[in-house]
Amino acid sequence: MSIATLNIPLHVKYIQNLGKSDDELMYHLTAHLRLNAVYWGLAALCVMGHKEALDRGEMIDFVMSCWDDEAGGFGAHPDHDAHLLSTCSAIQILVMQDALDRLDIPRVVNFIASLQQPSGVFAGDSFGEIDTRFLYCAVNSLSLLGQLDKMDVGKAVEYIRHCRNFDGGFGSRIGAESHAAQVFVCVGSLAILDRLDVCDADTLSWWLSERQMDSGGLNGRPQKLEDVCYSFWVLSALSILNKLEYIDSDKLISFILSAQDPEGGGIADRPGDMVDVFHTCFGTAGLSLVGYPGLEDLDPVYCMPAKLIEKMGLRKGWKALERRSG
Amino acid sequence: MTMGALKTHPKVYWIWNHRRWCLENIPSGPAPAGEEDANGWKQAAWQKDLFVVEQMLNKDPRNFHAWDYRRYILSQIPKPPLPKTELAYTKAKIVSNFSNFSAWHQRSKILLSLWSSGNLDESKSKENEFKLITDAMYTDPHDQSVWIYHRWLVGNNSTRKVLEREISVISDLLAEQPDSKWCLESLVHYKRMLINSYKDAVDAQALTDECHALLLQLSEIDPMRSRRYKDIMSQLNNHDV
Repeated sequence: MSIATLNIPLHVKYIQNLGKSDDELMYHLTAHLRLNAVYWGLAALCVMGHKEALDRGEMIDFVMSCWDDEAGGFGAHPDHDAHLLSTCSAIQILVMQDALDRLDIPRVVNFIASLQQPSGVFAGDSFGEIDTRFLYCAVNSLSLLGQLDKMDVGKAVEYIRHCRNFDGGFGSRIGAESHAAQVFVCVGSLAILDRLDVCDADTLSWWLSERQMDSGGLNGRPQKLEDVCYSFWVLSALSILNKLEYIDSDKLISFILSAQDPEGGGIADRPGDMVDVFHTCFGTAGLSLVGYPGLEDLDPVYCMPAKLIEKMGLRKGWKALERRSG
Repeated sequence: MTMGALKTHPKVYWIWNHRRWCLENIPSGPAPAGEEDANGWKQAAWQKDLFVVEQMLNKDPRNFHAWDYRRYILSQIPKPPLPKTELAYTKAKIVSNFSNFSAWHQRSKILLSLWSSGNLDESKSKENEFKLITDAMYTDPHDQSVWIYHRWLVGNNSTRKVLEREISVISDLLAEQPDSKWCLESLVHYKRMLINSYKDAVDAQALTDECHALLLQLSEIDPMRSRRYKDIMSQLNNHDV
């Protein structure tokens, strides 16, 4: 393995500072992803064993300030319209912070269920854009709330089946090209719904293993550049299929570690680029799945702490690599 | 308005989505001069977007938002172009760059629909595809897009004749490129298909031995995926023969 190590204290500090820089332009430019960003930050902290680094009360208050009372869901930022992406992040955060008592569960369940389309897929909001990402958000959220019976599971599974391509992968909608992130959302949904039989596991694990490039990093589609975020999308799907050994984890670890910013903290999409909380989250998530020492176990189906998911009785039959000793 | 935004941010979901919404909400307008159909106005707007998306794909041939949007336009446009026009479009994209898997993907979808609708003779068109893909293989044997498409073309229910012919084509290429991982990997795949589908008509033991030798070579030249090759070896031992 490379001599580089994961600089946990520096990354924790990086995430803590994100919330404080609201005078910077980037802060306002990314308002449409703010609630998601809080989830990425919290998930990364949980993986690194520093959940307490962000104030629990403040975080819950921020989540609740994004509630769109008219729609019955969460927007990405206070006064933004409710969207399934931010609603899923809000529910994940409230579950991780053990604060579901703050949530009007019947209303939010109603909001999520109302977005399912006749085809079985979900729209992200009332404007109607459809995507298997939104289907995953709905399945993940409803499952965390114990309300999967409020959606048409059979139709959702059929939709995913129709998104499956000859290479074993899945796309954003019927007819779309296979993409590793869409593979994660489809395989994750099928795992939650106990319908992994819909996957062509041999072909898919072949396609996923071919995402690893000579640099050790993973790409999202054939002949594309490697990117740290695929460390999670590809690895989560492989671990759900129990095939994590199909990539070289030593080389992947070196690649992720080389994308750290050694001064300011955080992880970038690839070495030398600007860091962000999205890649910091999925970089550490990938490291956890391949057994990097000193990290907490991550549930690849929900992208949340494994212990918590297990305690809720939601653990599926995935397998991560054994945690290495420091 | 969205055109400016797309030029700067060609991968932002929201902008593409807004454009969709605009198109869907175009009213049936006054018919243009010399055109009786009141939908002509709508058709022109959709046609213009097809042009826009082509410009986007000229800039970044792998932008999947643009491809998705293209499929969406083709499925919704009042008067769609002939499906064969789209086939020609994917071919132009592929010939200008064999690594454009997005175009290969689109081609596979168009062909499936042309074959099932009877607009194209499946076996004849498959032979043309084999010619195209063989050219691509020989041009760059390291390009995985080509091999993934080849696997689709061979499919799961190929005749023994096609499997043996393709194995021979790939073996010839391997002789020229002895370290080509994709040649080795594909040979294993197709030889296993021969063993599994035509067990009684082929020399299964000889093919199994050949697969073993190929997998050993693969483990050496592609150690990152050696566990997968090992798994296939044990499957060969347990099931295939």
